[in-house]
Amino acid sequence: MRDKSWPELVGIQVKSVLQLKNVHKAFSGVPALAGVDAALPENSYISLLGPSGSGKTTLLRVIAGFEQPDGGEILFAGQRIDGVPPHERGIGFVFQNFALFPHLSVAENIAFGLENRAVDPVTDTRVVAAKVRDIIGLVGLSGLEGRAVTQISGGQKQRVALARTLVTEPSMVLLDEPLGALDANLRTRMRGELRTIRERCGVTFLHVTGSETEALAMGDTVLVLDRGRIAQSADAGTLYGRPASADVARFLNCYNIFSGAISDDAFESPVGRLALGGAQQKSGEPAYAIRYDRVAIRPLHASAAGDEVRIEASFVASEYSGAAINSFFTLDDGRVFEVETHLSHAAPETFEEKARYALVWKREDALVFV
Amino acid sequence: MTMVATSDDTPVETAAPSTRRQPDRTALLLAPGVLWMLLFLVAPILMMVYVSFWTQTTFKIEPTLTLKSWVTFFSSDTYLGALWTTIRIWLIVLASTLLVGYPAALFVGLFVKNKTLSTALLVLCVIPFWTSFLIRVLAWRPMLGKEGAINMILMKIGVITQPIEVLLFSELSVIIGMTQIYCVFMVGPIAFMLGRIDPSVIEAAQDLGASFWRIFRTIILPLSMPGVVVGAIFVSVMVLGEFATSAALSGRKVNLLGNIIVTQVGSLKWAFAAVAGVVLTVLMGAVVAALLRVVDLKKEL
Repeated sequence: MRDKSWPELVGIQVKSVLQLKNVHKAFSGVPALAGVDAALPENSYISLLGPSGSGKTTLLRVIAGFEQPDGGEILFAGQRIDGVPPHERGIGFVFQNFALFPHLSVAENIAFGLENRAVDPVTDTRVVAAKVRDIIGLVGLSGLEGRAVTQISGGQKQRVALARTLVTEPSMVLLDEPLGALDANLRTRMRGELRTIRERCGVTFLHVTGSETEALAMGDTVLVLDRGRIAQSADAGTLYGRPASADVARFLNCYNIFSGAISDDAFESPVGRLALGGAQQKSGEPAYAIRYDRVAIRPLHASAAGDEVRIEASFVASEYSGAAINSFFTLDDGRVFEVETHLSHAAPETFEEKARYALVWKREDALVFV
Repeated sequence: MTMVATSDDTPVETAAPSTRRQPDRTALLLAPGVLWMLLFLVAPILMMVYVSFWTQTTFKIEPTLTLKSWVTFFSSDTYLGALWTTIRIWLIVLASTLLVGYPAALFVGLFVKNKTLSTALLVLCVIPFWTSFLIRVLAWRPMLGKEGAINMILMKIGVITQPIEVLLFSELSVIIGMTQIYCVFMVGPIAFMLGRIDPSVIEAAQDLGASFWRIFRTIILPLSMPGVVVGAIFVSVMVLGEFATSAALSGRKVNLLGNIIVTQVGSLKWAFAAVAGVVLTVLMGAVVAALLRVVDLKKEL
């Protein structure tokens, strides 16, 4: 159950548009993709999350056809496409740096694919103009048609890059860290826009990102890529609540993770025995994970209730982010433990630096990897 | 437009307080260059124009103003012929350096992905410059001569039975020599512009379905045009002022304006030489101005 993606979980039959079977790719002996298996559903927004060096750009370039895989199969709409040149795949690619044609105007950039593709180019300038006008309206660039692409802002460039791909009506669009080059404000706004644009077009977007918040916020399905393999494929809620392994939990950046081993009714961790009671997840690498926001900070003299786990730590610092406050503690083995307190639940408390506190959570809130 | 305006605002404001000391330093920094250009460029050109109106007799020249030298120049078949030959050879060499240079630059600047290797290849292009210009020109003689390398090889393998005489001491040999010598000035700027093209721009064009030739015509060629123009200016200016290659490789059959000037100066006919010089300068100015019309270099570079 847990390894399935959300359409299968909720029992909807969704046709997969792209299937990857055991895709391998190495660069001068160093493996970048070590057997990627995935099936991407049609008409959905998929985010591909991976830390830098996990092979996410390589995977995207292999799907697009800019790199050839060393082994494995890539099926697109039921057809094998490994070996097919990029432009015959029906897959659009949006580059991280946008890769706009610097000598052409906004409209000329968008019309490029229609006019210049080798297969079935559109020669009727009125048809081109109409299509370009439609797509410019769709991505919200009206009024900028004649501008040089060197004279528009980052967000506008992003839209041109997207429009340039969408106007050729691809069955799928690959976006390589599309928001990476934008500033924080614009990034948040473009998230919503990208999703809206995708819904209007009805094609699958595969969005590569290194940011867990972006991946969770945008993806109907989130794929987590780790060391050249798909570590998990799930909807955002499942992924956040039930990461498939300690490594995935680490990328999500919302879990305190202890390594150790299970003995009888407890988890032997470097900070002591942690009582079991919550969900257990098969992953091959034993670990104990507790979400930042499931931990309560109490005075040292407070003792734990029967269904609670309690450890002690010294307070280091806290970071205020408006709706929440993140407090950092050092454990006895020197590691940092993070607690997120939502301020809608309680007014911010002040803690004394270097003083010891009890950190307490419910047994059932912990996720144990076995 | 608004974006340009806002980005311009800040530097102007921050620069304002230091402008008071700026003028003296600017003048100081400009002085050597301006002095040099006045002494060795502006003054000689003015002198040349002035001398072209002096009165020339067989043995001496007098500063009495006359149009005689100009009339002689434009009514003489020799001089007009030289002007025409200069223009013809310039156009042919410009075309041939572009024809040989562009593919080479395309390879070095675009197809070689490794930056170190492409720099090394550009350095290789410059290696012939380690020998003097004259040696390089003269080295074509044993290559192209009646009993030169090319004729000997062609005869050995039986392609020809008689040596090809037109190879040396002809317009062809001058064109071959000039193309070889000036080609690198075409390769350099073009390779530089091609090297600046973001590889993902070409990938994007590929992804949008364009074939290689389409991408070349619509993306690569327009983006490399500033390089072509700069290369063409280099080659044009040097070929228009040429005299040594034609003297060494044409057996005095090809007379360029440069050769006319050398001969006239040699026989102390300063006024004629000055006329030819003025004509040549005007021609060069027109050519450079025309080339700069092709591409807005200030915008592109």
